[in-house]
Amino acid sequence: MNWIMARLGPGGFAWLVVHELRLALRNRRRGTRSTWIGLVMLILFTGVGILAGLGLRGLPIEAGPAIHIGVLAASILLMSFMVTQALLRSQHTLYESGDLDLLLSSPLAPRTILRAKLCGIAASVVLSFALLLLPIAIPVAALGHPGLFGIVPLLAALALTGACLGLAITLGVVALAGPRAARTFGQILGGLLAGAVFLISQLASNGGEGRRSAAFSLFSWLRAHHIGDGGIPALPGRAALGDPVAAALLLGGATLIFALTSWLFGRSFLASYQKARMRLSRQRKATGAVARHFRAGLFASMFAKEWRLLVRDPALAFQIVLRLIYLAPLTLAALGHGRSSPLLPALAFGSVLIAGQLVGSFAWLAVSGEDAPDLLSVAPIARRQVERAKLVSALAMAVPFGLLLPIAIALKSPLGALVTMAMTAAGGAAAGLIEIKWQKPAPRKTFVRRRSGSLVSSILTLLASAFFGGIAAFAVWVIG
Amino acid sequence: MTQPALAVKGLRKSFDKPVIAGLDLEVAAGELYALLGPNGAGKTTTLRMVTGLTRPDSGSIHIFGIDALADPLAAKAVTAWLPDEPMLYDKLTPSEYLGFVAGLWRIPPAEAAPEAERLLKWLELWDSRDTRCETFSRGMKQKVALAGALIHRPRLLILDEPLTGLDAAMARAVKDALRAAVDNGATVVVTTHILEVAERLADRIGIIGDGKLLAEGTLDQLRAQAGSDEMTLEDAFIKLTQAPQ
Repeated sequence: MNWIMARLGPGGFAWLVVHELRLALRNRRRGTRSTWIGLVMLILFTGVGILAGLGLRGLPIEAGPAIHIGVLAASILLMSFMVTQALLRSQHTLYESGDLDLLLSSPLAPRTILRAKLCGIAASVVLSFALLLLPIAIPVAALGHPGLFGIVPLLAALALTGACLGLAITLGVVALAGPRAARTFGQILGGLLAGAVFLISQLASNGGEGRRSAAFSLFSWLRAHHIGDGGIPALPGRAALGDPVAAALLLGGATLIFALTSWLFGRSFLASYQKARMRLSRQRKATGAVARHFRAGLFASMFAKEWRLLVRDPALAFQIVLRLIYLAPLTLAALGHGRSSPLLPALAFGSVLIAGQLVGSFAWLAVSGEDAPDLLSVAPIARRQVERAKLVSALAMAVPFGLLLPIAIALKSPLGALVTMAMTAAGGAAAGLIEIKWQKPAPRKTFVRRRSGSLVSSILTLLASAFFGGIAAFAVWVIG
Repeated sequence: MTQPALAVKGLRKSFDKPVIAGLDLEVAAGELYALLGPNGAGKTTTLRMVTGLTRPDSGSIHIFGIDALADPLAAKAVTAWLPDEPMLYDKLTPSEYLGFVAGLWRIPPAEAAPEAERLLKWLELWDSRDTRCETFSRGMKQKVALAGALIHRPRLLILDEPLTGLDAAMARAVKDALRAAVDNGATVVVTTHILEVAERLADRIGIIGDGKLLAEGTLDQLRAQAGSDEMTLEDAFIKLTQAPQ
């Protein structure tokens, strides 16, 4: 990248785009272990691609309505993930990256900077999916199906459109509701879009038609409504199978959206950034005495602090509660359809698993995500006492959620509910203790990526949850 | 004879290389002591060892006669630490932060709440007491952290570069707070790069370099050690820190 930049005119659009691509590439690099895992996965994927290519060598892939609809369904799902990623990248660009001060203080037009940033967002979006799809698609294309090279322009068009949509949504919300709401909204919407695919597919599978994936549900719906078997909706399918006109139309359309986005938001981009750099929190009118904030005892003080920090970070709280989405299909199944009894052991197991996840998350925030560790270190309290208070706080915060499934079980088996509750508490406590034992300080905002920090604690938490969940499921099954 | 507020003897600490190499330091009770030294001299490391945040390789630390290495909790109970980066929670308001700190030091609410009210008013934070710290300027954050350090009425207050990044009015407020703490019987140890602050505020000044105490005393005593009664503190500092060891 440095070599290319050295040969481009400094300060130009292309130069800036290459700079953004360089940043997008470097942002992906995590650690040596991740790099090796990534490399192994890449080799494995390529191997799968070569095997698939060899297997499909003699078989013709014929364009037709079914394939076109299938590619359209896949493109829609892919786009939902891409918009999610683009939303998060846009948030990062506006609120976290430190380079906009530098760029906007340079003699470059804000519109040029916006265009380069859009390319950077698109590049970071396309990278994730290209690494997953292309190692399989390219060997298949190279080994007898050259038309499938059309997946490359399709992916580029989707990424560019996704980047534009993500940035447009972010800037639109900033304009309508201000930067604070935009940040929270973006993070929540990102989480929802990611979770929606799972939820929709699970709810669909509870509809009495057997288990189906989200992609298949979407495919069936599109086919039933004849969407994608011809006309513009068929363009992704045609492009993916090597139709150059369709590929050109899609790329042209994406470029048009790109131009339109940079034209529409060229000015508001600067305004949004200026707003974002302003205070993100409201100034509150001071009222009343301060005594209400003082509590006797370490646990009460610790719980009040942890609770406030959680509820005042809606995006973070939402990311945790989003895990409860996984409860929805189980609960629906237990409460309806007249076939709840055989599901009780599964509910008991799920209860422990969810409690382990929740307490682990809360404990991570309280212990590893502590904002002021030095304050606790200089306080006249033993470290063990602080950790115990944090564990109890994490357990207390998880209690309302931990009661959901035992209550559902209690409708059928009160004794089973009691056992489940006990095992849920044990599983939660074990998860919290593991998190404390393998704590690894990190900023709270890295919550989503925290598992990459401690593989041991992830595995142990899962094992502990499986152990206590197994006991709960077995006991509930025996009790009946 | 009264016990010194802080007595450090033969303190040593190495990371990749020796940072503190046999430091001896004594601060009398009720004194405002300024610790000066060039960048990398070991000022912050020394203070972090005194507050129990870093374990020394060898040496002893006594705070009002309490062995801080053998009984750290007792030592911490009478000490407050204010680093250059305030130890705050951005999502908490000043009142809530003070409530939390009081909980850590186990101050009964009936005692801590009126003290918090007094500190918030005194540091001109009263009107902002219900606003989250994330909206505050650096100076306001520093004042909230100072209120947190004072809420449990520490006998020894240790501050690392408390005036960095503050405007003149904020810096004056912090300096007044330190002087008032000393007038109320507390002992203050402060590091600073602003020599004028040490010159005007401190009862005694210590200069460290290469992990050792190079010179110590009142301003006049430092001038004498540097070889001229006419020198400014800046001249004396440069001469003492650049002199061959």
